[in-house]
Amino acid sequence: MKKDILKLGLALALFAAGACVALAMVYAVTKPTIEGHEARNLEASLKEIFPEADAFESLNGELSADTAGVTVTGAWKASKGGATLGLAIRTLGKSYGGDAAMLVGVRTDRRLSGVRILTLSDTPGLGANATSPTYFVDKASKTTFPGQFKDKPVSDPFEVKNDVSAITASTITSKALTDMAKAAALAGSAWLEKAAAGGM
Amino acid sequence: MNVIGIFLAASLTDNVLLMRFLGLCPFIGMSADVNKSVGMGLAVTFVMVMATAVTWPLYHFLLVPLELTFLQILVFILVIASLVQLVEFFLKKNVPSLYASMGIYLPLITTNCAILAVTFDNISKGYGLMESVVYAVGVAFGFLVAMVLMAGIRSRLRTAPVPKFLEGTPILFAATSLLATAFMGFSGLIK
Amino acid sequence: MQRLWKIFSKGIVYENPLLMLMIGLCSAVAVTSSVGNAVGMGGAMTFVIVFAELVISLFRKLIPNDARIPIFIIVIAAFTTIIDLSMKAYLPELSKSLGVFIPLIVVNCIIMGRVEAFASKEKPLDAVVDALGMGVGYTWVLVGIAAFRELLGNGTLMAAQVMPEAFQPILFFTLPPGGFMVFALFISFNIWLKKAMERRAAAPAKEAA
Repeated sequence: MKKDILKLGLALALFAAGACVALAMVYAVTKPTIEGHEARNLEASLKEIFPEADAFESLNGELSADTAGVTVTGAWKASKGGATLGLAIRTLGKSYGGDAAMLVGVRTDRRLSGVRILTLSDTPGLGANATSPTYFVDKASKTTFPGQFKDKPVSDPFEVKNDVSAITASTITSKALTDMAKAAALAGSAWLEKAAAGGM
Repeated sequence: MNVIGIFLAASLTDNVLLMRFLGLCPFIGMSADVNKSVGMGLAVTFVMVMATAVTWPLYHFLLVPLELTFLQILVFILVIASLVQLVEFFLKKNVPSLYASMGIYLPLITTNCAILAVTFDNISKGYGLMESVVYAVGVAFGFLVAMVLMAGIRSRLRTAPVPKFLEGTPILFAATSLLATAFMGFSGLIK
Repeated sequence: MQRLWKIFSKGIVYENPLLMLMIGLCSAVAVTSSVGNAVGMGGAMTFVIVFAELVISLFRKLIPNDARIPIFIIVIAAFTTIIDLSMKAYLPELSKSLGVFIPLIVVNCIIMGRVEAFASKEKPLDAVVDALGMGVGYTWVLVGIAAFRELLGNGTLMAAQVMPEAFQPILFFTLPPGGFMVFALFISFNIWLKKAMERRAAAPAKEAA
């Protein structure tokens, strides 16, 4: 009886060990590639928000959002030649079809440099139009949903149907994204105020 | 993150069965009977919550610090399999009637996509332990509700005129489709 | 060769895991909102089932019966992780699109079922052929449903505009209820197909009788 259990245990252990070794090897091979993707994606997004910046310094953990349902998952200080251009803040929030992630740039003049939606899994044809380069909230000026946030003052109310144009038939998505942008704008502005006061 | 929001979203707007298509095997297999549905729902709730309570700390306090996150799939599924074994032993000894009526579907809880999905969700959504448990309870509740609703529908279907080409399994999926449409109406609940 | 073909073709229609055996459903309805996803999922699943059946068949004499389920799980989980990591590294867009459904391959009843019913008892070559049959059977149904849903729900196939500009996509099909409905129709079709094939097989026997 005891010998049987030993045999079972040994077989299990051998297979488990074999699996772990194989996986460790595959992981070692793929890890650099995977991390490379993430780094490159992040850099591309940061560059889109602050095209003139030549350096991004991570301010992880220094910012938090005051709005319920929105979390700040990363913040970077964009600078050119040592002078601060502003902050790029990445927020995570809940949208219609799941979580959404967005990168918001807050300039030192308390205006948004831009908004880039990183991940969104809303309904194609409705909420997903937020990321579509051909969907315009303002057809005359060809402004996309995130595009309307460019140069927007942080002090604006950030309300759908008020100062923000919604995506047709997608009020939940529009509101969720607007809330995330607002949270980032406020957090970024608050940090910049503190930094200015502290004489950074 | 507010706890009520997580619960409502998990059970209604993101209903694991009707919105995310997870946990279909027991859904089709066991929803023929309301009692069986409740039994299955409760068993799934138990395993889901226990799995969360075990996998969350394992991930955050063991896999992450030791840089073994690539073992996530392996470790999580083994935890779930072990928990289901424990439930089986417990039921066999203490509630043999339920054990017998669940039959093959009891060990099949291990392969219930919903349970593994929940353990993964807790990690990818960055929930804390408390939030994860609430999420698990919410998802399980949503699963239970969907199963019981389906059982009710199925009992009506037995005496309803079904078009020939939909007889058998197809009509079940068609009914599920309508149930899912109804649940989509909940999407306005979460602001 | 005949024997191998018979093993392979089982998974395509007669014992099609999704439509006939009704297992492995979860991912089926979820990933079929687009053909790209369906192909990716089918490919990933085929990878896992082929290697899992191969390894378990190779070691079948060394796996003690009482510990077989955990060992099967370990092997399947290992290959699922391998395809997951590989896709994250070399096909990141697809990996993100399929999300949690790649790790969920480990609980795909089809793989567990075949490994238990076939690979643990048969020779490696047969096991691989069986796995391929199941994988192809799974993939064709997935792609079929996805083609239907993507074409009617979005007007595209593999994200390329196929329907004319004037076509108003019927959003219903890309949403969960549409997925279930299309699946119902596919099962209905397969039942009809099976009955037709049985009738044709029975006819000559009747004539002979």
